[in-house]
Amino acid sequence: MAERLLYADVVIVGGGIAGTAIARELSQYELDVILLEKEIELCFGVTKATHSFIHCGLPEEDTPLINKLSLESNPMFNQLCKELDVPFMRVGKLYTVMNKNEIKILEKIKEKGDIVGVPNLEIVNKEKLREMEPNITDKAVAALYTPTTGLVSPWELVIALAENAMENKVKIMLNTKVTQILPQEDDVFIIKTNRGFIKSKFLINAAGLFADEIANMIGEDNFVMIPLKEERYILDERITGLVNHLIRSPITGDFISPTKKELAPIENNIIMGCVPQKIKDKTDATTSKEGFKRVFNYAKEMFPSISAKDIITSFAGSVPLNSRTNDYIIEPSQRVPKFINAILGGIGVTASPAMAKLIVEILISQGLKLIKKQNFNPYRKGIPDFRTLPEEERKALIAKDPRYGHVVCRCETVTEGEIVEAIRRGARTVDGVKYRTKAGMGRCQGGFCGPRVIEILARELNIPVTEVTKKGNNSRLLLFKSKELLRKNWR
Amino acid sequence: MVLQKADLVVIGAGPAGVAAAIKAKEMGVNNVIIMERAEQLGGLLHQCIHNGFGLQYFKEDLTGPEYAYNFIEKAKGLGIKFLLETMALDISPKREITAVSNKEGIINLHPKAIILAMGCRERTRGAINIPGTRPAGIFTAGVAQRFVNVEGFIPGKKVVILGSGDVGMIMARRLTLEGVKVEAMVEILPYVGGLIRNEVQCIHDFNIPLFLEHTVVDVHGTERVKAVTIAKIDKDRNPIYKTKRKIECDTLLLSVGLIPENELSLKAGIKLDPVTGGPIVDETMQTNVSGIFAAGNVVHVHDLVDYVSFEGELAGSNAANYILSQALFPKMKINLKAGEGIRYIVPSTISGQKKATLYMRVLKPDRDVVVKVGDDFLRKHLPIVKPSEMLKIIIPLSKLKMLKDETKELTISCTKGRK
Ligand SMILES: Cc1cc2nc3c(=O)[nH]c(=O)nc-3n(C[C@H](O)[C@H](O)[C@H](O)COP(=O)(O)OP(=O)(O)OC[C@H]3O[C@@H](n4cnc5c(N)ncnc54)[C@H](O)[C@@H]3O)c2cc1C
Ligand SMILES: Cc1cc2nc3c(=O)[nH]c(=O)nc-3n(C[C@H](O)[C@H](O)[C@H](O)COP(=O)(O)OP(=O)(O)OC[C@H]3O[C@@H](n4cnc5c(N)ncnc54)[C@H](O)[C@@H]3O)c2cc1C
Repeated sequence: MAERLLYADVVIVGGGIAGTAIARELSQYELDVILLEKEIELCFGVTKATHSFIHCGLPEEDTPLINKLSLESNPMFNQLCKELDVPFMRVGKLYTVMNKNEIKILEKIKEKGDIVGVPNLEIVNKEKLREMEPNITDKAVAALYTPTTGLVSPWELVIALAENAMENKVKIMLNTKVTQILPQEDDVFIIKTNRGFIKSKFLINAAGLFADEIANMIGEDNFVMIPLKEERYILDERITGLVNHLIRSPITGDFISPTKKELAPIENNIIMGCVPQKIKDKTDATTSKEGFKRVFNYAKEMFPSISAKDIITSFAGSVPLNSRTNDYIIEPSQRVPKFINAILGGIGVTASPAMAKLIVEILISQGLKLIKKQNFNPYRKGIPDFRTLPEEERKALIAKDPRYGHVVCRCETVTEGEIVEAIRRGARTVDGVKYRTKAGMGRCQGGFCGPRVIEILARELNIPVTEVTKKGNNSRLLLFKSKELLRKNWR
Repeated sequence: MVLQKADLVVIGAGPAGVAAAIKAKEMGVNNVIIMERAEQLGGLLHQCIHNGFGLQYFKEDLTGPEYAYNFIEKAKGLGIKFLLETMALDISPKREITAVSNKEGIINLHPKAIILAMGCRERTRGAINIPGTRPAGIFTAGVAQRFVNVEGFIPGKKVVILGSGDVGMIMARRLTLEGVKVEAMVEILPYVGGLIRNEVQCIHDFNIPLFLEHTVVDVHGTERVKAVTIAKIDKDRNPIYKTKRKIECDTLLLSVGLIPENELSLKAGIKLDPVTGGPIVDETMQTNVSGIFAAGNVVHVHDLVDYVSFEGELAGSNAANYILSQALFPKMKINLKAGEGIRYIVPSTISGQKKATLYMRVLKPDRDVVVKVGDDFLRKHLPIVKPSEMLKIIIPLSKLKMLKDETKELTISCTKGRK
């Protein structure tokens, strides 16, 4: 491939929530911004394996930055999600206890929250709790209610941030892995990637679990990233209505939660989770029998009518922790101040809007001149969601493009029109289509629509069916054409 | 689209739906419409290119497409209307149907009766909760069958199959014939899940290593499947770790059961049986919602398509009766209850006024058993039973007439014995 050289004011490494939130924030200014992502699509890192709560900002012991950013970010979500046409809903959380003497724990949490200004915290008694959660176990005695806890689809948010950033002239390069950062010349970074070189005045390290590798490239080696694995289990939407709020144990951290109809992509299903476990392999996304037992036992304890049969899928993801602090690292490198770390950890989706604003402040303090664009467009429209549209709008959509009358995914009622639009906007893989449209997310997990989605991807991308992947790289789905193996074997 | 005129709408053009439509039309129902989501008629049969279909119905050994073709030709000849690539989205308890197609847009129909024949779907990895990574290369056996037989693609060259349902066994043979190495078939139960015929013809005849009382305990590979680890299980179904063995492969197929497809039924307010996962039906195949009938795999998973067709015809003739003269419907007086050794019975209620045909499954395989209806009311000795092979028991009208008037329930059991 011809090596090319590009120029930018700011290069962002990483296309997860951190990178895309920063890209969108910077797109308001007259700047050349390039975002680099090593995977074939955005949001294929840590942010992929979440289903995010937008936490209310209750403070933890030794994480001042997380506390500050999440408290500041929480109220920003209404406007942000409105501008970006991303479903968002404040479901509220109930920190639930099973024992009278544990109410003290709730009171302590509430007191701390009240001091920093988390709005409308309330301790609810057993009766009120049952009113709010009619199916909860009789053993639950009280809860701390945090009404501002919200839910958002991290995928939709990342895609929306990126689409809006691109609308405002940010350049996004996929399949582009940063492999080396050459010593600064004339105050400019030379960034080596598998697709050529980029010169940039500033470099933002938003590489999630791999942020240590990027920092190493400029000689910063005072931390490593440690994956903290969490498992998630999703229940069939049949039991929708069973759980109304995020229910969490303040003691173990175990939880069970609904997601709501309007929220892509695990619509309407109930999700169960469990507290993290430190692991070594950054790519480890395995679920375990032990994890299942733990998660399931908590869910069953809280909602006795849940059965193991209701589980439709499971996944795991790793929260990127750093070895230096328990907090985020959002600051210029001490060695090279124009290299700025934007390293999140837990609850990073929540903290992302305020974190992006903090990055802007840091850039200014490091000498970047920012001029607001005259024609900045803060709005982005999502792909039409056939399933939730009223009948009249459905008709209009089909009249415009009959492919919206062709249902491909029958569990989630996703049409060919939506899938084609997702591919037009950048979906390149079966997982990418799934995250953008929900095709294959339902109870049959792609059993019916999988073959059709593969076919549509091949057709729209003009590639052979055997080249279509699940998630890029070596994840091809169909390895051979029929009879191909026989021919090989006979040779 | 304007409201179509329809007396009967059948949802699903698989063997159940087509047989039902034919029967209703033959009995004099005017406007019969079959609505099918796929591009072609025939349901699942269209991908079942192996033989073994029709031995009961046609007394002939046919392939799936041949079997389906016989019915489809007949339906076309009778002037039954097919709406292809048309998916039913909603049914109300008042029998109002909303459907969508790319040709006609949104379609609203309000027929006099509906027959549900949506078939079933396969259980997936999530449903059985296999630990490990989530790479490409994990498919359900039915999806793989579609890729190989319809689309012309082979998922991989070294395959492990988890579960020994019929689809899995058929695919073990089919893939072997395509040059694929089937490294193992792994089954958690002490016996094969599907038909004996398939065990012999697809597994033993092709020397496929069969691991009974084993399961997959881990999946390896992050991008594409690289291997799976299997292990023997103890009596509580926990893996015995010292029996672990890693098998290199690029594909894992799942043949771990089918689930009736009843999202639409629920929208219509139809009650489902928690054991079968299908609508609770009476001897006329009517559900608890008046005028909505159901037949085929949507009611309970069948192993032989011939019974699906018979069931379709039964639903079709009763739907015709319902449309043409409601008065003919007898009252359902007797509940059928699954007793010892029986997993489920379809139908759940009978009138006692007609010969009753009962389909049922046993809980475990056994030799020399007696199936008993009621308190020694009817008994039948069977030399061998298996959960995978559906039992059919007929109670003749003459027998039913002997029942006392106040009989409200008949329990059916399957216990050891010769007489
Ligand atoms: C199971 C789970 C549940 C969670 N739930 C919540 C929640 O409910 N609420 C909440 O707020 N947070 C939640 N989190 C935390 C949140 O997901 C993370 O804080 C956040 O996703 C981190 O985003 P990121 O952009 O820093 O990382 P990532 O999403 O990993 O983005 C980093 C990107 O950098 C790319 N990259 C790496 N190296 C290179 C390179 N050399 N060149 C180019 N690109 C590179 C990667 O491919 C990746 O796409 C959860 C996390 C997990 C694991
Ligand atoms: C792999 C496999 C191998 C088999 N092998 C044999 C064998 O060797 N011998 C044998 O006798 N039997 C065999 N069977 C069993 C037999 O194929 C099935 O029992 C039979 O196909 C079931 O018929 P059905 O009409 O109930 O459902 P299906 O054939 O599944 O048809 C249901 C139809 O409904 C449509 N539909 C569903 N929802 C909607 C909606 N909302 N709107 C519109 N349309 C909808 C579907 O697209 C489908 O076409 C096999 C089954 C499988 C899966």
